[in-house]
Amino acid sequence: MPRACLLSEVGVQVASFEEIEHTADRAFRVRGRNMADLLENAARAMQALDEPSSAREPSASEEIEVEGVDRESLLVNWLNEILYLEQARQLVCEEFHIAEIENRRLRAQIETRKCDRSQTHIKAVTFHNLHIREVSGGLEAEVVLDV
Amino acid sequence: MCSVPAEAVMIEKKHIERVSENVWEIPKTFRHDMRVPVRLYADEELLDTALSDNSVLQLVNTATLPGVVKYAIAMPDIHQGYGFPIGGVVATRLPEGVISPGGVGYDINCGVRLLVSQVSVEEIEPYLEDIASRLYANCPSGVGAHGHLRLSDNELDQVLHEGSRWMLEKGYASREDLDRTEEFGRISAADAAFVSDHARERGRNQLGTLGAGNHFIEVDRVTEVYDQPTAARLGIYAGNVAVQIHCGSRGLGHQVCEDYVSRFQKTAQDYGIELPDRELVCAPFDSKEGKEYFRAMACAANFAFANRQLLAHMIRRSFEEMLTGEVKNLELQQVYDIAHNMAKVEEHNIDGRSLRVCVHRKGATRAFGPGSSVLPDSLRDLGQPVLIPGSMGTASYVLIGTKGAMEQTFGSTCHGAGRVMSRTKAKKTIRGTVLRDQLKSRGILICAGSMSGLAEEAPLAYKDVARVVEVVHMLGIGRKIARLEPVAVIKG
Repeated sequence: MPRACLLSEVGVQVASFEEIEHTADRAFRVRGRNMADLLENAARAMQALDEPSSAREPSASEEIEVEGVDRESLLVNWLNEILYLEQARQLVCEEFHIAEIENRRLRAQIETRKCDRSQTHIKAVTFHNLHIREVSGGLEAEVVLDV
Repeated sequence: MCSVPAEAVMIEKKHIERVSENVWEIPKTFRHDMRVPVRLYADEELLDTALSDNSVLQLVNTATLPGVVKYAIAMPDIHQGYGFPIGGVVATRLPEGVISPGGVGYDINCGVRLLVSQVSVEEIEPYLEDIASRLYANCPSGVGAHGHLRLSDNELDQVLHEGSRWMLEKGYASREDLDRTEEFGRISAADAAFVSDHARERGRNQLGTLGAGNHFIEVDRVTEVYDQPTAARLGIYAGNVAVQIHCGSRGLGHQVCEDYVSRFQKTAQDYGIELPDRELVCAPFDSKEGKEYFRAMACAANFAFANRQLLAHMIRRSFEEMLTGEVKNLELQQVYDIAHNMAKVEEHNIDGRSLRVCVHRKGATRAFGPGSSVLPDSLRDLGQPVLIPGSMGTASYVLIGTKGAMEQTFGSTCHGAGRVMSRTKAKKTIRGTVLRDQLKSRGILICAGSMSGLAEEAPLAYKDVARVVEVVHMLGIGRKIARLEPVAVIKG
């Protein structure tokens, strides 16, 4: 199991994500108090499963904008944009902050570190059986990654 | 969009009818949204394995695609994927049937290339460690690895349009290599105007790289020949050195698939297509969107053909660098290069009529039989070579395409062993260093960038490839020609 990220909520500790067994690929269940929180936690979950080795160069910040046709596609497109930064620009994405969400469009800041080659082992984020559900205390989704 | 939650119906053996010894069917009455039955090609044990995860449910979901004909088919190596199962074959009637980017997958034209020599393994054995190290250095591996070529925008466009033909012009391929490549290493529908900047950026520096996961270069010994005359025609002789390459279109292909799966979320709605899983999104093949995906997919496929061609060039160079002056007749001839993640437009005889269809093969290999007009003159009377890599450290097989495959499975067969254990569980079960030492004690050298990645690919995580191939052989959807066993494995 990757390192767990804990979310403190009304005095209750709830793991914000957990890995789900998948025969060929990787998958995780993620929760958030709201959509922004879900998006940030999903990015952290993906990073935790990927286990990138630490990069050397100093930290920088990227601002990105992502769109989707609904909540699910916003989630997938957001995670895929992170993979693009990691693979095309050889960045390790470390901290995620959703600055704004409006009408299935988001603006976010990502803390990044440059490295000499991409560290990610994930090919893509899929829509497989993806459905963002309302649950007690927020939202929940299960995401399958192609590796 | 989701009219039927994919988990709504559990599939058990009682839902499956036995058609013959190794053919099983789920009738289309099983679920209201199925347009055709599904057929599973497996012996009883492999069927039980398939039922242990969501593979068969995923196959049933593909039977709902608009325009699907005859059956949605699973090969004996079927296992759970996302959207389509791995080991699935689905054909849709053209022009109105759909094309689904998820039915090809993210690693567009992932495939296998086999080179053979007329040199015995014993002759190169003293130099094997040096050869493996040189292959590891000359063929960059790992997900984000960069290759030796730096392409300008214009050169990248040429690779996307020309595939292996560009490699021939640049001196990295021979005419014989192109003859022995599916589609002669170039899909003519390619149009780089439909490949995004993101895809270009992800792929630009990755030509000639292996990637990670289950991708590999393997130096093999031909350990058994089942059909001597056919093997001899392919240049395959017992005891000799062979080399396999397993990889695909790298980041460029991944991004092309991502772009179109994302875009088709709306496109499928626009065409009123209802699906049980959003990863199956699709568009009519003849629609603007369908054509654009096909043209972009062809670009990624050409990139993959070019990638395996450049790797073959670097492998030949590595052997020359280490063995020139030491071993004679080093030439590595290409047996064939095949895709196992692809959508192709083909003619097939369905219920007595010749139909033009889009065949999606996701984790399945084309296996055209003798007489096929798409094969080169040198192979037309023989049939198409089929390359089935086993899991790391186990045997791989060379088969030949058959008339049986043309009749039963849209000219398709299996693509490998098929996973049975998750990557996380495999890593918990065995350490990479222990596995490396175990393989070494069996005479198999391993060069790997990541020990945890090595553990994920442990043989215990896969089905028995010999069993899968035996079922394929018995079904007549591929005929065994030769078996290969590894002596050195290069992995990301």
